[in-house]
Amino acid sequence: MEKEVVLEVKNLKTHFISNKGTAKAVDGIDFVLRKGETLGIVGESGCGKSMTSLSILRLIPSPPGKIVDGQVLLKGQDLVKMSDEELRKIRGNRISMIFQEPMTSLNPVIPVGEQIAEALRLHQGLSKKQAWDRSVEMIGLVGIPSPEKRAKQEPFQLSGGMRQRIMIAMALACTPEVLIADEPTTALDVTIQAQILEIMKDLQKKIGMGIIFITHDLGVVAEMCDQVGVMYAGQIVEHQEAKNLFNNPLHPYTQGLIGSLPKLYEDQEELQIIEGTVPSPYDYPEGCRFAERCPFAQDICIQKQPNLIQFDENSKVRCWKYSDEWQDSLAKEVVAP
Amino acid sequence: MSNVFQEKSPLLQVSELKQHFELKKEVIFQPKQVVKAVDGIDFDLYPGETLSIVGESGCGKSTTGRSILRLDEPTSGDVLFKGQSLLQMNKKELRSIRGNIQVIFQDPYASLNPRRTIRQMLEEAMAIQKVLPPNKREARMLELMNHVGLRPEYLERYPHEFSGGQRQRIGIARALAVNPEIIICDEAVSALDVSIQAQILNLLKKLQKEFDLTFLFISHDLSVVRHISDRVMVMYLGKVVEIADKSSLFNKPMHPYTKALLSAIPVIDETKRGERIILKGDVPSPLNPPTGCRFHTRCPFATERCSQEEPLLRELSATHSVACHFAEELFTS
Repeated sequence: MEKEVVLEVKNLKTHFISNKGTAKAVDGIDFVLRKGETLGIVGESGCGKSMTSLSILRLIPSPPGKIVDGQVLLKGQDLVKMSDEELRKIRGNRISMIFQEPMTSLNPVIPVGEQIAEALRLHQGLSKKQAWDRSVEMIGLVGIPSPEKRAKQEPFQLSGGMRQRIMIAMALACTPEVLIADEPTTALDVTIQAQILEIMKDLQKKIGMGIIFITHDLGVVAEMCDQVGVMYAGQIVEHQEAKNLFNNPLHPYTQGLIGSLPKLYEDQEELQIIEGTVPSPYDYPEGCRFAERCPFAQDICIQKQPNLIQFDENSKVRCWKYSDEWQDSLAKEVVAP
Repeated sequence: MSNVFQEKSPLLQVSELKQHFELKKEVIFQPKQVVKAVDGIDFDLYPGETLSIVGESGCGKSTTGRSILRLDEPTSGDVLFKGQSLLQMNKKELRSIRGNIQVIFQDPYASLNPRRTIRQMLEEAMAIQKVLPPNKREARMLELMNHVGLRPEYLERYPHEFSGGQRQRIGIARALAVNPEIIICDEAVSALDVSIQAQILNLLKKLQKEFDLTFLFISHDLSVVRHISDRVMVMYLGKVVEIADKSSLFNKPMHPYTKALLSAIPVIDETKRGERIILKGDVPSPLNPPTGCRFHTRCPFATERCSQEEPLLRELSATHSVACHFAEELFTS
């Protein structure tokens, strides 16, 4: 039985309009997040993964940014069309977010326990005392020793790993339906990262929220996610179950990305590389956005943009190689003198 | 089997190196606070090899690199380059020796002068180290650009016109311009996306072969380290906890910290995923490191002895040394 859909993003487009032109940071994203599932969004710098996550809660700087098309449905309610006031009731309550650098998201002069309690008072209407108790409970839940003492401390008195735990405690205090985690462990050391990932998995089991996990680290994706969307130049180029993605990557970009990763348990003389660089979001090519770096590119790839097509039941790919037209285009080439 | 590189005499010998930083007093009469960033480390670097230093933030890996070049003046100890002590040199001697030891940093943008073209930067480096007579420098610059995979016309451009990966190539070209023997790479690929990182790693390996370079490669990323190194040194809170050739370190780590560090790395291949050792707590402050073994506060195997007696780095085999009282008991089975 399929689990209940909590969040559905349809054809989301976020563009940045400036005197340099229009940057299509997010250019037609679709995905579905189910209850208790983790959806990973991976890609390299500038692919639009963070802009996608910010667009969901309409947190993009506007102007110059603007959601020009699409829907973000939280159990059927469209967040894109919602008034600011309605949206405020959702942010931090039904959908919450954690970022890479906790220090910039925490108020530096307010004890961390109070910052968590504030959200509880606002969204859940708890009394001051109730909110504080719940806040201390949450701090304990994310594995910080002596939570009563820590709750009274200010962010600078905590280590980086502890601050990220506080962020998680704050994000989960109102038992949200969706947690958006944008590179939550990127600034942390690996041993601390391992602790944080463990806690996130643990709390997901307890609370049952869906997680959108944004990262550039394929190893983290493999360990955390059920589904993965690979982004390139503002679009999802491949969508698969995480357990299949690494054994059977479909899109040439995903294949290149996995190949260029140094392996921890294998000796390699030379790493596979992806030639060239990412195209500018101001000026995407007409055809496939990966075509000029792609080792398989044919004429059709340069002329026409591929759609995200269903490859099999659980995977989708945006590549001409898997379409019916591909055989025709190859055949043509053989025939041509 | 001993390492092939170790048959030659070492290029760089670091002994008892200490780098302590005194903190500014916040209150008058406050007792002196000292951060022991690097606290007595020894290692040799052999010609042609890549030795990596790994560890988490604050373990002293970058400070070690900086002390060798005397970018920070070390507190005590010695660094010998081909038998000559770098720490005893005067400024002029040091400047000439720095031609032999170059460094590449994490953020190439911060280490390139934004108001100079690539040509001016390469020319300046060659002029300071007097590597070639001026009339031969033009040809050398074109050659360098070719070696690092940049187009010759880029010589006239400024750093802001390049992408991150290209800037790192410029950093490499500048380091190569003075014909160094050793290049210290301080988190040289950490800021790059994986596909660009792969390009730079391949380039470094290629250049090492072509020019017989010796690398001291400082990184927190163990997968990268595995790819590029011949030997690996693991640091924790200013101390070396383990040093070994690559294959024994990755296949048979003998220090509980190395073991935990390796197990903490997320890997994409499920079948290679071993049992994860989750370390408790955070790295203690280097202002007030634990007594005895510095790792004992987080070590799952710590005993009474570990909190009192500091383990010394001892040889288990010709290519593997470890600083743990119980290494054999724990990991030989």
